[in-house]
Amino acid sequence: MDFSPSDDQVLLRDSIRALLAAECTPAVLRAHMSDLPAATPLWSHLGDFAALGVGPTVDLCIVMEELGYVAAPSPFFASACLAAPVLAAIGDPCLDEILAGTTTGTLALAGSDGMWRANSDSHKTFVPDAASADMVVVIGGGVGGADGGNCTVATQIADDARRITTLDSTRPLYNVECATGTPIGTIDPDALDAIIERATVALAAELVGTARRLLDMSLAYAKERVQFGVAIGSFQAIQHKLVDMSLDVERAWSAVYFAAMTLAAADAPDESDGSASRLDCKRAVHVAKATAGIAAKHCAKDGIQIHGGIGFTWEHDLHLFIRRAYASEALLGTTNWHHEQLGDLLF
Amino acid sequence: MRLAWGPAEESFRDELSAFLDEHAPLEASVRYDFATAEGSDGSIPAWSRTWQATLFDHGWMIPGYPRDLGGRDATPVQTLVYLEEMAARGVSRSLHFPGYAIVAPSLLEFGTEAQRALVPAAIRGDTVWCIGMSEPNAGSDLAGLSTRAELDGDSFVVNGQKVWTSYATIAEKCCLYVRTDPAAPKHKGISLLIVDMDTPGVEVRPLRHINGAADFAEVFFTDVRIPAENLVGSLNDGWRLTQGSLAHERSGLWVEGVARLEHGVTGLIDLARECGVSDDPNVRRRIAEMYARASSLRALGYKGLASPDSGRMSPEHTYMKLASSEATSALFELGMDIQGAYGPVTDAVRGAEHGRWPLGFLITFANTIAGGSSEIQRNIIAQRVLGLPRT
Ligand SMILES: Cc1cc2nc3c(=O)[nH]c(=O)nc-3n(C[C@H](O)[C@H](O)[C@H](O)COP(=O)(O)OP(=O)(O)OC[C@H]3O[C@@H](n4cnc5c(N)ncnc54)[C@H](O)[C@@H]3O)c2cc1C
Repeated sequence: MDFSPSDDQVLLRDSIRALLAAECTPAVLRAHMSDLPAATPLWSHLGDFAALGVGPTVDLCIVMEELGYVAAPSPFFASACLAAPVLAAIGDPCLDEILAGTTTGTLALAGSDGMWRANSDSHKTFVPDAASADMVVVIGGGVGGADGGNCTVATQIADDARRITTLDSTRPLYNVECATGTPIGTIDPDALDAIIERATVALAAELVGTARRLLDMSLAYAKERVQFGVAIGSFQAIQHKLVDMSLDVERAWSAVYFAAMTLAAADAPDESDGSASRLDCKRAVHVAKATAGIAAKHCAKDGIQIHGGIGFTWEHDLHLFIRRAYASEALLGTTNWHHEQLGDLLF
Repeated sequence: MRLAWGPAEESFRDELSAFLDEHAPLEASVRYDFATAEGSDGSIPAWSRTWQATLFDHGWMIPGYPRDLGGRDATPVQTLVYLEEMAARGVSRSLHFPGYAIVAPSLLEFGTEAQRALVPAAIRGDTVWCIGMSEPNAGSDLAGLSTRAELDGDSFVVNGQKVWTSYATIAEKCCLYVRTDPAAPKHKGISLLIVDMDTPGVEVRPLRHINGAADFAEVFFTDVRIPAENLVGSLNDGWRLTQGSLAHERSGLWVEGVARLEHGVTGLIDLARECGVSDDPNVRRRIAEMYARASSLRALGYKGLASPDSGRMSPEHTYMKLASSEATSALFELGMDIQGAYGPVTDAVRGAEHGRWPLGFLITFANTIAGGSSEIQRNIIAQRVLGLPRT
């Protein structure tokens, strides 16, 4: 058991962090609200990391955590975490361009109920970045169908994607009608589940990053804001809030990397890295996403409270991260949903 | 102890009902539990102005006041019946509360004859008022305010800045708290001035709320000359008036706060049905919990009536502000939870009720921050109600 990053992982984190600090400022997020192409220059840098979509899970989480910290408007999640592993599973030749970052993709899986599970709905929901993606990878029905229960995989261009507006504008979500795609293969539903589980851990890592951003902003503000002649961080009411926020962030961070290592061990069991069963993986994934969702919502609520009036203004950047926190918590299963799934696995 | 209202209250309610049936405009019963208006400029629509004037002219604006102030000399209990009935119907009296709820009682208690003459228009809504208390460096620590007013002949010269001033973009007048004696201990050098917002040197810069609506502002004062007779109360006695203002703001508001919660609980029940989760025991338990929170708060509010000395702070008022504001945030968050993946969706097609729950959720933080944050309410209860030592 070792939660410390390797030298390479430290390097990876530091380089993406430095890149994002320079290229993904709140000004970019605000410009992107009304003008989606405002985030295109950012992708020209982030595309270099797209190969992590089929790379080591821990490394993927390190990058996602940093993307969450800046609430990056970027197709990285859609393209690298969702589309790439499906294309890899069916050996599609488009994979290379996706991993090179020269093409972007996304995944249309959830149907009307918003659940990211195999279904035969042609009306797909919550498809991230569908309008700007070069290709939408569509998972069709097939459970119990003619081809031995495998799901069909097709690609199409989402020229009729309808934006779903949410609290958050940094990760545009769309409804897509998927009846017209070009079939490119089939995928086993268990393999699909495993891909979604990995994407869920990656999204949980991202949520931890957003939660940490909210914590850091609130902590910094508590040290600098003076009322009654002292920093508001000297009031125990504020200190205890920040302590509880940091506990939730620490707990979530650990749960996420525990899950990432569990998935990695299940994929490639060996002596030193241990091994993990499918059940171990599922439990760890549910714990990670649920715990990260709790941390992010907690840091959002207490973060705005600690900021007082200034946090209630549009002009202050805090709300950008509050919005992202709530939107990400609801994507790929809410905290409640993950707890329910976990409950089913415990009995 | 007694559960029911008496016949005098019930006939009062009947009279009010008849009036509302006849006069209340449809728009007034659209419940304002969240602000949809992204990018709105906060201006007051004509129907609202007419409605407030109608209430005043029929003695239904503030029933406890005499006729010439838009009331009918109602008893405190009748006033409660009034607030309940209005809340039950979801009818709002006015879209700008500072004038009738804060300025009017303060001027009636502390104002000169000329200042008291401003009260009817404030209550009728003919004059829109804003309250200039908070400053960039004086929020919770209101007594730390530094906007300076110096007496120069027969006028005060004001320099400084206020912030988060609701309604400042549309207000004609402002109740402005200023420092008149910088040498005195901080609570002893504050005064209250009435400022016409069109006085030269007053500059209003709109600020946008978290949802993008321009509902409050920063207000800058540069060498603004205010006639000395606009001083309310005695020089350097303004702190006592701030305490009064906040108490007025709070005393009647609990009924509306509780009604908003109860209305929200009804909304949650409808929402659960609409989302097909009304049989989910977990959803039911959480909505029931919220119902119990609202309903026990209503009971606590009634308990506060045992000392119906309205306008003065009773411990129940502080408890009510703290508990109802926090419950309202939790309620809207539950509304998001019930919708699962659709919780944060705000568009009219996919989102329930045009994003009522997620947008409302963001707005609820106004209640736990403005008018004394939850932390400050807890400090007040700890020290003044429970008698714990000050730190
Ligand atoms: C929607 C809205 C409308 C408003 N309208 C008006 C208006 O019309 N006129 C007006 O004058 N003002 C208005 N305000 C300002 C409001 O009154 C202040 O925001 C409020 O008093 C808090 O002050 P602050 O924002 O400076 O926060 P701060 O005082 O800086 O507080 C920051 C944090 O520190 C905490 N804190 C501060 N002191 C203590 C303490 N002693 N112990 C424990 N915790 C503490 C607070 O609870 C908060 O969590 C409005 C605010 C909002 C959000």
